[in-house]
Amino acid sequence: MKSLSFFFFFIFIISVFPFLCFSFNPESPTDRRVLVLLDDFSLKYSHSIFFNSLKSRCLNLEFKLSDDPSLSLQRYGQYLYDALILFCPSTKKFGGSLDLTAVIDFVDSGHDLILAADSTASDLIKNIATECGVDFDEDSSAMVIDHKSYAISGTEGDHSLIVSDDFIQSGAILGKTKIEAPVLFKGIAHSVNSANSLVLKVLSASPSAYSANPESKLLNPPLLTGSAISLVSVVQARNNARIMIAGSLDLFSNRLLRTAVQKAGSQDKYHKSGNEQFVTEISKWVFHERGHLKAVNLRHLRVGETDEPAMYRIKDDLKFSVEIHEWSGKNWEPYVADDVQVQFYMMSSYVLKTLSTNGKGLYLASFKVPDVYGVFQFKVDYHRLGYTSLSLSKQIPVRPFRHNEYERFITTAFPYYGASFTMMAGFFIFSILFLYNK
Amino acid sequence: MARSLAGFLVLLLVVSICEAASLFQPVSDSHRSAALELFTPDHGSFKSLEETYEALRTFQIFGIEKKPDVTASACRSISETVGSSTSTSKDLFYALKANSIAECKIHETASKGIISSLNAAVSAASSLLDFYYSVGGLVLIKDQSSKDDIHLADAEGVFRSVKAFSQSDGRWRYSSSNPESSAFAAGIALETLAGIVSLASSELDQSLISTLKNDISKLFDSIEKYDDGTLYFDDKLVDGYEYQGPLSITSSVLRGLTAFAAVTTGNIDLPRDKILGLAKFFLGIGVPGDAKDFFYQIDALACLESNRVSIPLILSLSSAVLSLTKKDSLKVRVTTVLGSNAPPLTVKLVGAFSSVSKDASLVESQELKFDQGSGLHILNDLLKSIDVGSYTFVFEVVLQEPEDEKVYVMGSQTKVPIFVTGLVKIENSEIAVLDSDLGSVESQNKLDLTAKNDVSLSANHLQKMRLSFQLTTPRGRAFRPHQAFLKLRHESKVEHIFVVGNSGKQFEIVLNFLGLVEKFFYLSGKYDMELTVGDAAMENSLLVAIGYIELDLPEAPEKAPRPPPQPVDPYSRYGPQAEITHIFRAPEKRPPQELSLAFLGLTILPLLGFFIGLLRLGVNMKNFPTKPIPATFAVLFHVGIGAVLLLYVFFWLKLDLFQTLKVLGFLGVFLVFVGHRILSHLAAASAKLKSA
Repeated sequence: MKSLSFFFFFIFIISVFPFLCFSFNPESPTDRRVLVLLDDFSLKYSHSIFFNSLKSRCLNLEFKLSDDPSLSLQRYGQYLYDALILFCPSTKKFGGSLDLTAVIDFVDSGHDLILAADSTASDLIKNIATECGVDFDEDSSAMVIDHKSYAISGTEGDHSLIVSDDFIQSGAILGKTKIEAPVLFKGIAHSVNSANSLVLKVLSASPSAYSANPESKLLNPPLLTGSAISLVSVVQARNNARIMIAGSLDLFSNRLLRTAVQKAGSQDKYHKSGNEQFVTEISKWVFHERGHLKAVNLRHLRVGETDEPAMYRIKDDLKFSVEIHEWSGKNWEPYVADDVQVQFYMMSSYVLKTLSTNGKGLYLASFKVPDVYGVFQFKVDYHRLGYTSLSLSKQIPVRPFRHNEYERFITTAFPYYGASFTMMAGFFIFSILFLYNK
Repeated sequence: MARSLAGFLVLLLVVSICEAASLFQPVSDSHRSAALELFTPDHGSFKSLEETYEALRTFQIFGIEKKPDVTASACRSISETVGSSTSTSKDLFYALKANSIAECKIHETASKGIISSLNAAVSAASSLLDFYYSVGGLVLIKDQSSKDDIHLADAEGVFRSVKAFSQSDGRWRYSSSNPESSAFAAGIALETLAGIVSLASSELDQSLISTLKNDISKLFDSIEKYDDGTLYFDDKLVDGYEYQGPLSITSSVLRGLTAFAAVTTGNIDLPRDKILGLAKFFLGIGVPGDAKDFFYQIDALACLESNRVSIPLILSLSSAVLSLTKKDSLKVRVTTVLGSNAPPLTVKLVGAFSSVSKDASLVESQELKFDQGSGLHILNDLLKSIDVGSYTFVFEVVLQEPEDEKVYVMGSQTKVPIFVTGLVKIENSEIAVLDSDLGSVESQNKLDLTAKNDVSLSANHLQKMRLSFQLTTPRGRAFRPHQAFLKLRHESKVEHIFVVGNSGKQFEIVLNFLGLVEKFFYLSGKYDMELTVGDAAMENSLLVAIGYIELDLPEAPEKAPRPPPQPVDPYSRYGPQAEITHIFRAPEKRPPQELSLAFLGLTILPLLGFFIGLLRLGVNMKNFPTKPIPATFAVLFHVGIGAVLLLYVFFWLKLDLFQTLKVLGFLGVFLVFVGHRILSHLAAASAKLKSA
């Protein structure tokens, strides 16, 4: 009997083990299980450098055709993957149980998405992008063309292979190393929804670019022109799900990753385009290998004490501290910045102070509690370009002075004291003399 | 159904990737550098002998000098595997394969041992892979030791037992128990059978060979096709064994075919365009990023280069963009897939069609001159007759020796998209503001579109603005660029784009502001103007600032459309907020200390006055009781009053209300008691005095 129960326990442990290893947890936010949907398996070869760089970073890629009838993102209410790569621009309908809503639900539950489109992009793919706040050009035959900043190439002369070096200035998204060589791009344009504050243009086209069909004559002005064209955009949702949307599938291809690049009208030749660095760095960001923050040990103290009080009195001096760490892909490292701020908040902020740091992830500030009593909050709202947002708050009541905590023996009051006491002394003497005088 | 749909999608994808018609480049330097990058030994040696072989084979094909340390470590592991008695036939096979390139010395005794063990493996083999490794091993050792005494005892029997795995559609099974047939297995089987043929001591039955040839043509009937003529083999996706992918499958079939063609006499009858289609498949992939895939590609291309069936030739252009200003000449290269030179041949330009009017050829059929030194076919004076624009050139390749026709295969006609570029002349550019009704010119400015202009104009909604310029090609014809935009940008970053239309050489746009008021959202103010002219054939595409126009538009009516919201700068959205410090309530103003102290002094004066008054009145204590008991009570009563007053002092100094009241309670009771006694005593005394 005992051995039987041991056996079942063993089976349970064995069956749970893979989930323990590979499931997403907040302590190590990097994605582990990635589903890659392709139009065709030949993409595995033509984009193998990108896939290999993902594999070398311990991501577990699962390749499937986009019309695979067994496609499913979740089983028994549990998601089977941490991230989804949609390299299937021409797919009109996914196989299995996957559809637009399933993809959006996947993202809404905090999972990540990479979507690449090209000139064959179907309505399904465009709709997924629209849900994420990115609008692809409605003209299905249009491509991004740039007659000023195109790549000089022996084989392609229609200037639809363009180069761009208009990157977003963010170390979190594109890494600390500057991308020297420009990025080659061949695909379709999109614009970011200006009402959506979560979408960011990572790679923009040059002012001379436009989105049109290179084969036909233009009669009406194109919908998208100039720097308004976004080539690659990212979204960081409020639940820290990250989405990357690229208008070019070729951007990730071995061909463009390995091509030498020279921008028209420029003398600088690069033996390799910036694509490899660009897609590697941005995929690190998407898969939470960078720019993921956590805040721990939020503490506050009255100056000179060691225990956290349950309540402050107005005008107390207090010390506030919090530790912030950044996930480096392997472990948590101290996050160093000089713009972390704390608010002392009740309906609006009464105090907003920039925290000073010791360079090891500890952030400190000290200030005086305002002379307003009520229920306050310590709030750290940290929203920085490319980093996950931190929103911490801790409630703390503030009380007024107690009756015996006010200032005593004020000089100004001495005449009143004097009057009282002389009165008392007079009374005492008067009471004696009144009774015994004869 | 799903399968065919997938095929269709694939086709779309490939068409989109390879939009440059059917122009395939032979293997280039990028492959060479990729080979060195992909096959980098880990601490001087590769992980397995299979990988070692793949690396060595790739280096051999590219003619890259083997690094000595690779060879040395490879030899060490080869001799270990060969010397060990526990090595499987698969290990031996790859060891011998690697050795065929590394050329290490193998001991005589060891090689004898291998031969016997491989022979035993052949006779014990039951699956296709068993046969493949053991027969392959024997072939390799025969080639390496140059001994003629290695023969298969019962070659025909082995041949038949391998042949038993074949299926009616030309595919093969891995073993008799596995019902799934695959093209990958077919390639392996062909290679094995080729080995058996070369190991046979006597000529094999020709009927066996011819049925096999029949199988091969059946296999090629099931080839899969992309729209641009690219061909490949693929297997059905089945569970149960590892799916290989079209690259390895096609590569395996090609390897088998090459090996089989090498050992048989007579032609293998295959449509020649199929071989060309396969070549296009491998060249169309580009440079794979995975070592395995890279080896499959290069090995297959090497097979294509050296096979006996037909060798594909690839026509490539050194540049598809020809510049009129640089006087580029048309350079065409015809090579094999690995980039080695083709046999003597002539390349003809059959036609050149403009992308605008596709019917008539612009040039007559002419032959390209062959340049012996560079191996290029060159046409120099072509560009004299051709203007800027995009064209499709059609080439035809004719082999000079009729003998070569049998060996090489080449597409009948190759269509290549060509762009001819040049400097476009921009003249007579000017901008003017016109009065609407009369059309009279109010202010006119000449522009230089090659540099930044700084025109400042002003207009109201009743006026018009006219921008005009002329474009001429180097040959003096009218040029119509793909992109000719005028962009007006308001201070609030609202942009309006207009396409500049043309009639002949003359480009003109007239903006009638009266009609545009609504489109401009009634926004008066400064509009920056920018002109963009660009085309694929234009070497001097321009994006130039013209200046600005100050527009005076009427007030917006209530129902006018609002300008769309402009995107917010992401950098401003993030970043720290301004600090807030709390402003504390200021303490109340107090009088100076001296004043308070002076008033304190004043409060003592009434007491002093009281004392003086008492002295003046001449108070006495004559009424104090003389008897001891009332005297005690009197003293206690006044001590009690003193205590109460003292308690008030303490209350002021430190005590709180509760402590004070508590003490006061006791004192009160005490005072009532003693006060009653002394006061009743005094009252009795005074009553006695009155009555007396």
